[in-house]
Amino acid sequence: MGFSEARRLLRRLLARRGAALSLAFLAVVALAALFAGLMPLDPLRQNIAESLKPPSPEAWFGTDELGRDILARVVYGARTSLVTAFGAVVIAALIGVPVGLVAGFYGDWRDSILMRCIDVLLALPNILFAMALIAVLGRSQGAALVAVGVAGIPGFARIARAQVMALRQLDFVMAVRGFGGGPAYIMFRTILPNALSPLVVQAIVLASIAILLEAALAFLGVGVPPPTPSWGEMLRTGKSYLYEAPSYAVLPGLVLTLTILSFDTIGRALTAIIDRDETDAIHETAGGGRR
Amino acid sequence: MTKLSRRQFCMTGLALAGAMPLAGTLPASAQQLKGGTLRVAVLSELANYDPQQLSTVNFHVIKNLYDSLIEYTPEGKPEPSLATAWTISPDKTSVSLTLRDGVTFHSGTPFKSDSVLATLQKGADPKRGKNVFSTMSIVKDWSAPDDRTVVINFKAPVPERQILDLLQFLLPIDPKGIDTVETVPAGTGPYTLVSRAVGQGLRLKANPKYWRPNQPVTQDLVFTVFTEDAAASAALESGAVDIVYGGSSRSAVRLKNAGYQVFAGPGPLVQVFRINSTRGPFRNKSFRQAFNHLMDRASILRVGYAGMGQEVALPWAPASPAFDAAYTKTYGYDLEKAKKLIAASGLSADEIKGWKLLVNGSDEASVSISQIVQGSLQKAGIPVELDMRQGAEYVTALLGGDFAATFGAVGNVQKFPSRVATNSIYRTSGNPVLKDPHPHPDYVAAIAKVDAATGSAADVKAAYDNLNKVMVEEAFGVPTNSYDVGLIVASEKIGGITLDIDNLLVARTIGFK
Repeated sequence: MGFSEARRLLRRLLARRGAALSLAFLAVVALAALFAGLMPLDPLRQNIAESLKPPSPEAWFGTDELGRDILARVVYGARTSLVTAFGAVVIAALIGVPVGLVAGFYGDWRDSILMRCIDVLLALPNILFAMALIAVLGRSQGAALVAVGVAGIPGFARIARAQVMALRQLDFVMAVRGFGGGPAYIMFRTILPNALSPLVVQAIVLASIAILLEAALAFLGVGVPPPTPSWGEMLRTGKSYLYEAPSYAVLPGLVLTLTILSFDTIGRALTAIIDRDETDAIHETAGGGRR
Repeated sequence: MTKLSRRQFCMTGLALAGAMPLAGTLPASAQQLKGGTLRVAVLSELANYDPQQLSTVNFHVIKNLYDSLIEYTPEGKPEPSLATAWTISPDKTSVSLTLRDGVTFHSGTPFKSDSVLATLQKGADPKRGKNVFSTMSIVKDWSAPDDRTVVINFKAPVPERQILDLLQFLLPIDPKGIDTVETVPAGTGPYTLVSRAVGQGLRLKANPKYWRPNQPVTQDLVFTVFTEDAAASAALESGAVDIVYGGSSRSAVRLKNAGYQVFAGPGPLVQVFRINSTRGPFRNKSFRQAFNHLMDRASILRVGYAGMGQEVALPWAPASPAFDAAYTKTYGYDLEKAKKLIAASGLSADEIKGWKLLVNGSDEASVSISQIVQGSLQKAGIPVELDMRQGAEYVTALLGGDFAATFGAVGNVQKFPSRVATNSIYRTSGNPVLKDPHPHPDYVAAIAKVDAATGSAADVKAAYDNLNKVMVEEAFGVPTNSYDVGLIVASEKIGGITLDIDNLLVARTIGFK
């Protein structure tokens, strides 16, 4: 997927209202997370005398049980979520894609062994697997990131394998093979660039899953340790104060929901665009055959 | 029968003053209560029915299935129960008990001295004695001259209050059922077991042969286990249950404001910042003493326990004879004092950091108050991370001493002062955290002095004062606040609540108005 193709994809994405709104929301969240340090917000400053205050001009989202600004914690919590999502996608892609490429390209005993390993990973519920990994690695953002990333490997591996199997017998691949291209060259320089679109969609889907999983781990008390802000941790603590300070759980929950919804909407829009491109290509091929 | 000393009277008065504003009803005797089915929401699943394995998870059932040899009133005054009289020898080396006649166990076995002997035997067994075992350390032997008399001999003269604590802690078990008591209750209590659904609840029915007249008031007692405090509160508000037992302080405050009755007993727990003085900078006494002033007790009480409880600098409830409110003021939150003590320790900036604060991640209050301390430490120039552990993982670390510092509650704080040494961090020997030999010999000597203080009131007071002084100076345990365990929140139609000295649920007097 070249730069011009990416621009074309973005333009088509922005033409869809839901996807455009989602992109705008994610851009705001990402910018807030990126430039949180420049804002007059301190997510760790305690002021017990001002605990559990409702939203006000001084604290737009209200304050938590330790008198900390909930908006500040939501903004800094975005860092936790986005870093986890990005890290998890990188880990999952870096391991899953080569595994899928090798398995799909050779299709022999290597395929059997690699895919049975992937099946084992797939058989484990994500949340249980992540909790087990955190139990071994200890509770930290790094551990959560690795746990979520490892849980995402099967998705990438299976999609990459399916793409390779669909492309490996096509003419352009055979041509490269005929010109003496080695397996690594064919896999990574010939097939992979043509299989990127579904992998990009998978990355976006995994990002939303990663954010949800990180929040779930924090909600279960095994995520990023406090006082580091985390949306899931805020939900976990905030639910105990639903009577006294509903905004404590509701607002971080809303931001979390909208973020996941945005990733999901973009992922669906991309899938629809790619599917349409493929359908058009098939029709084009079929039409050419008739001529 | 014994009399309360002036000091005890004042202290128990203070305890009552704390509890009374919450109490909304008159005692059972002053009311005409109706029977029926009492539905109680509880927040814990009981481990087993053994009264010698008393812990907060079975607080709701033990006093409904068993009776003690003697009881304490909420003010700490001893009262007859299965023992109708007790005589302490003048040299305080033995106590003779007269047992109640006409009592039977749930199995129909008559209650006689053999059951008390069997109970003592179990308590003195290191494997079967469980929580009672350490309390039995003062006991030398016992005998039963006849079916209605038991004599317990002590290894040395024992303070009267300590003897009474032992009697109150002994709940006779049916000798026929003593080997299966973990799975089948074997008591004389006001209710008998009907059925239990593990993880869901428990159904008891009134014991038709119960010895206390007109008790229990209700015919059926149904416990439902809730895993969420909010769900238990919602059940009370919807009328699905009549009482919530053992809910959070925060819910109790909210429900009280909504018109529900809230009862706090005289047996709170005390939250203690436990310091492993065998590790790193905590070997330094001056550094440890700084923590006396690093505890923002007011904030801890407010955030962790909705303000219900008291700020304390010593591990005593107001009902304890060693309670001394002056220490709370002297050792209050003061960052400047803390910084001076840290400077006086001679430790470098690098030496005082690098340790983690162990936190019970399953307990929201612990998570919150640990963050308060983390904030105070940051201000004092000690950046620390929180080491969050869940459930069993935390308990293993806590009881195994695998921590630098952590919060952990201690009980028996309203009893005889040396009973505090039954808590792991305060044990004088076999301490799982501080190990043997005990690194604080002054503390061990102070506990021994309290145990031996059987002389004049002045001698006893001197022993208590010495223990208090040693505790804050050694500072391996820094108490922050007392808080209510076993809180009772009841609908307005409920009456006859009895406050137990240990805050156990006593359902036999509860009925419907």
